[in-house]
Amino acid sequence: MAMVGNLSNEQAITAYRNALRARALDMKIISAQRQGIIGFHVPSQGQEIIQIAISMLSDKEDLIFSYYRDLAMLLQRGVPLSMIYDQLLSNSKDFQKGRQMPDHFSFKEFNFSTVQSPVGAHLPLTVGAAYAMRYSKKKGIVIATFGDGATSTSDFHAALSMASVFNLGVLFICENNGWAISVPTSKQTKADIYKKGAGYGIPGKRVDGNDLIASLAGLQEAFDYVRSGKGAYLVEAVTYRMGPHSTSDDPKKYRVDEITDGSENDPIRRLENLMLRMGVLDSASIQSMRAQAKEEIDRTFEERMSIPPTEPETIFDDVYENPSWIQEEERRDMNAPD
Amino acid sequence: MVQSLNGSIDMLMAEDEKVIVMGEDVGRDGGVFRVTDNLLNKYGDERVLDTPLNELAIIGMATGMAMYGLKPIAEIQFQDYIFPAFDQIVNNIAKIRYRTGGRFSVPLIIRTPYGGGVRGGLYHSQSGEAYFAHTAGLTVVTPSNPYDARGLLVAASRRNDPVIFLEPKRLYRAGKTEVPDGLFEVEIGKAARLREGDELSIITYGSMVPTVMSTVEKNGLNADVLDLRTILPMDVDAIITTARKTGRVIIVHEAPRTLGVGAEISALIAERAVDSLLAPIIRVTGYDIPYPYSHEEFYLPDEKRIMRAVDRVIKY
Ligand SMILES: Cc1ncc(C[n+]2csc(CCOP(=O)(O)OP(=O)(O)O)c2C)c(N)n1
Ligand SMILES: [Mg+2]
Repeated sequence: MAMVGNLSNEQAITAYRNALRARALDMKIISAQRQGIIGFHVPSQGQEIIQIAISMLSDKEDLIFSYYRDLAMLLQRGVPLSMIYDQLLSNSKDFQKGRQMPDHFSFKEFNFSTVQSPVGAHLPLTVGAAYAMRYSKKKGIVIATFGDGATSTSDFHAALSMASVFNLGVLFICENNGWAISVPTSKQTKADIYKKGAGYGIPGKRVDGNDLIASLAGLQEAFDYVRSGKGAYLVEAVTYRMGPHSTSDDPKKYRVDEITDGSENDPIRRLENLMLRMGVLDSASIQSMRAQAKEEIDRTFEERMSIPPTEPETIFDDVYENPSWIQEEERRDMNAPD
Repeated sequence: MVQSLNGSIDMLMAEDEKVIVMGEDVGRDGGVFRVTDNLLNKYGDERVLDTPLNELAIIGMATGMAMYGLKPIAEIQFQDYIFPAFDQIVNNIAKIRYRTGGRFSVPLIIRTPYGGGVRGGLYHSQSGEAYFAHTAGLTVVTPSNPYDARGLLVAASRRNDPVIFLEPKRLYRAGKTEVPDGLFEVEIGKAARLREGDELSIITYGSMVPTVMSTVEKNGLNADVLDLRTILPMDVDAIITTARKTGRVIIVHEAPRTLGVGAEISALIAERAVDSLLAPIIRVTGYDIPYPYSHEEFYLPDEKRIMRAVDRVIKY
């Protein structure tokens, strides 16, 4: 049965379940950060629905260059919670061997590339990846996500310029959450973000990123355009940062003028209300889905917490394929007896 | 150090209306480390600019301001994020005086926090001083305490040339040094002798100064300790004097060893005081790897590693 358009009830329920998982995970990470178990966190709360919509429309072959605030996207694409925790806890099962801060994921098997802290620095890479895919006749497109602040970087403009000149299939999706740390989007840019591609010949469109139905509809058009080989496309998904920029940030300094606590912007609540209205869920099933999500988040956390950290000397691995004498000498220095 | 810097910028702005503060989150938020706290309220948004997220643009724009009569103090939120502006720094800022035969100058201060020990991983921890120190035309300074922070910042603002002002973020809230009221200068190009000793010399700067001093004190070392304070141009007289005095030199910095500041210090000593040396010069530094998130305590030079070097030069 279809909920709205060609979105089936099952798809909607799965999306909702993953949104709940992402929200519960986010809260768990924040509390683990306060206890000193996880070092740092960039909360995704308020941005779950657009992220889920992106994963719903992407294919397995599509290559995603996400950014540091995309937890819900990972869950919807099927990345196991355990793998996410291993990165957050930087334990010895973390594929990246504890090299990166929490939220800087790389899940190659799921075609998630690699997240870096320098804002926007992944964007030129997406163009090269799209070129490599086209050249080797691989299926799929490249999808890039980033914040509103990132649209001011030179990297963003460089990427748009190159993608358009070489007619490459990159779907650029800006998660405009209204803030770049303390700088509101109104001070970040005078132009509408979705129009920033126009000068490079890249079409753009704004979607309500807090509404699942609107996100899916708007994104579908963009996905179709890029998949058809016409070139790059820029989507601005208007969303909302419910929390602080990160666990190191104190928004009281700069969010003083906001009149609300933002709960009416909560995209999960909006989806919930819609599903209740449509009779897809009732409040009892919502309660039980919430409890289930929390139980899974808590249980998996306990499981992964007990995994030991990496060995200290692994910090010398992977600088090169074959270490030079410099790293070998320094490794011996580190291991020297007192 | 944060308070000392904040007060210094405040006084510099009060003194000279040509001083402009700009960078990401420096206004309303007062900077992510609060170094520019309250300046927006006091001086308004024509003098305190919350900029869009583009380091190249921040530094390029500040350079233009400086060429045409203003005195910008630009903040790069983390030194790790300065690299998009590297072209401006190396190809414009460092060369504008030279290429115009001295007819233009760039009186610009670029402030930026650097160094690790804050669980910041690859991109909130790097010590990139050597990248800048390799470029003639730049002046590179780094304070290790609140007093020098003010003195060096004021001295930088009195110059008519660009200064890269590196702030060891691990020490932002550390020092208990008294800072006198008002503006005063610490001479650029002059090291501080933090301690007199005869048996060995330890040359260091910035974030490593407290580690070196506590090691010296805890182990009762008879060490001459130099805090360079200025990395470019470094205080060659102080370096050679201490090397001649003790004949045993250890250099401690947090940045990686290879082609770092320690290499230049060693070369100066080798060229000018090799006859005084009683032991090889030893560098104790960060390792030649990207700055790791896990196990950073092993990356940072510590008492154990410094004492191993001390043993080597003493027993040589
Ligand atoms: C090149 C660069 N400059 C500065 C920073 C510090 N910083 C981290 S996140 C951020 C704001 C990013 O805002 P936006 O792109 O809107 O993404 P959001 O965090 O809001 O999701 C800044 C300034 C950085 N990481 N990289
Ligand atoms: Mg944002």
